[in-house]
Amino acid sequence: MGTSAKRGVLDQVTASVKSSQIWRSIFRHGYPDTPLNQSLIMMGNVFLHLHPVKVSRQAMRITYTWCLGGISFFLFLVLTITGVFLMFYYIPADQQAYGNIQTIQSAIAFGAITRNMHRWAAHLMVISVSLHMIRVFYHGAYKPPREFNWVVGVVLFLLTLLLSFTGYLLPWDQIGVLAIQVGSNMANYAPVIGDAVHRTLIGGLDQYPTQNTLIRFYTLHVLFLPLVAAVFMAVHFWRIRKDGGEAGPPPPSRSEVELNEAP
Amino acid sequence: MATTTSPSSAQKRYRTLAVVKQEAITRVEKQLEDSVFVWPHLLIREFLAAVLMSVMLTVVSLAINAPLEVRFNVNFPPPAVAKAPWYFLGLQELLHYFPPTLAGVLLPGFVLAGLAAVPYIDNNPSRAFNDRKLAIAIFTMFVVFFAIITVIGSFFRGGGWQWVWPWQGEFFNL
Ligand code: HEM
Repeated sequence: MGTSAKRGVLDQVTASVKSSQIWRSIFRHGYPDTPLNQSLIMMGNVFLHLHPVKVSRQAMRITYTWCLGGISFFLFLVLTITGVFLMFYYIPADQQAYGNIQTIQSAIAFGAITRNMHRWAAHLMVISVSLHMIRVFYHGAYKPPREFNWVVGVVLFLLTLLLSFTGYLLPWDQIGVLAIQVGSNMANYAPVIGDAVHRTLIGGLDQYPTQNTLIRFYTLHVLFLPLVAAVFMAVHFWRIRKDGGEAGPPPPSRSEVELNEAP
Repeated sequence: MATTTSPSSAQKRYRTLAVVKQEAITRVEKQLEDSVFVWPHLLIREFLAAVLMSVMLTVVSLAINAPLEVRFNVNFPPPAVAKAPWYFLGLQELLHYFPPTLAGVLLPGFVLAGLAAVPYIDNNPSRAFNDRKLAIAIFTMFVVFFAIITVIGSFFRGGGWQWVWPWQGEFFNL
């Protein structure tokens, strides 16, 4: 009939696309609906290769990780993409920055929603990273062999805070500049190196953030800190696999085990 | 280890395998009953989590604008209180009680160093909740303490860091 003829054409086209050299150069195996192909795709795709081929059913449960590490990573990606968009319109100059933000918020197509997403995702990331750390602690998932990955995590926590802190100055509005002034003033109180740290942060001897400060915070915010964070995340994810994957829900306690063995 | 004769390629491969830790190898056949394929079981969950987050973030961003205050001007009188972003308001609250060197520098440094040292301080091998009562109690107190001072710094502090009630309307800046 008509439909079977059509399907015949579709099938033919599909088959010839799938057997073309271009298709086969991109996809080196069939659709992953067989154990072999399900293994091949996980090992052959550079992004999927972050994961092992198989995971423990227990450790994969939503109620184990609450997806918090994954959500932190996802928010980092959202922040990178929205951040690149904002960079198209934002100039880190004390005379222009504020006006740029106003323009983004009011006159640029998708400017407001992009800036909003960047801001709210940043807040959410601080929350999700903190909750992730708390959940890892309660599961005792920092115990051997995962000690070092916990330390990598603490560095990521600090980097997340620093990313938020450096971004706070960029709109050059009253609260941002004053908060950074208060924050960098803290550096003054560090024993011995306080003065030097303050001068390095502010970029001079001024009381208030200046153009020097703005360009420093901007460079740290859009380049240095994200790169460092990306490197630490790569190590974090690599170590999860090398430490044997997710720890999984804690086992029963000694007394519970004894109780079960007693009778 | 170096050998005098050059090893065959098969031997070389064997050596590399020997340094890969057992638990780091993906064993497709092992524990069939207890493990599942990442494609599709884990990937579908990650995909759904990403979709859910995207939708939530989009809705929030459509509904609420990110704040933008008046442009900074050195000559303007400073506001009654300059609050840090909320995640630093716990530290700002501590500054109210302790000298800046302690509350602003030593304490945060000590907290970070302490957190990093957790796996090396806590050498109780058990991960079971019932075997870790002390560690859990200490950590819970730490988290609750920080949550409380953050909430106080955020909702209960107004101009000059004086005590206010949340309904008096002096909040923190997002
Ligand atoms: C940018 C920040 C971070 C990202 C993107 C991230 C990402 C992840 C992801 C995707 C996982 C897999 C399981 C899960 O989702 O829970 C994980 C596990 C883990 N993370 Fe993080 N993480 C971050 C920060 C931290 C922090 C702050 C700590 C602790 C101080 C930490 C310690 C760990 C440990 C020990 C594991 C293994 C947990 C287990 O085996 O159950 N991470 N992380």
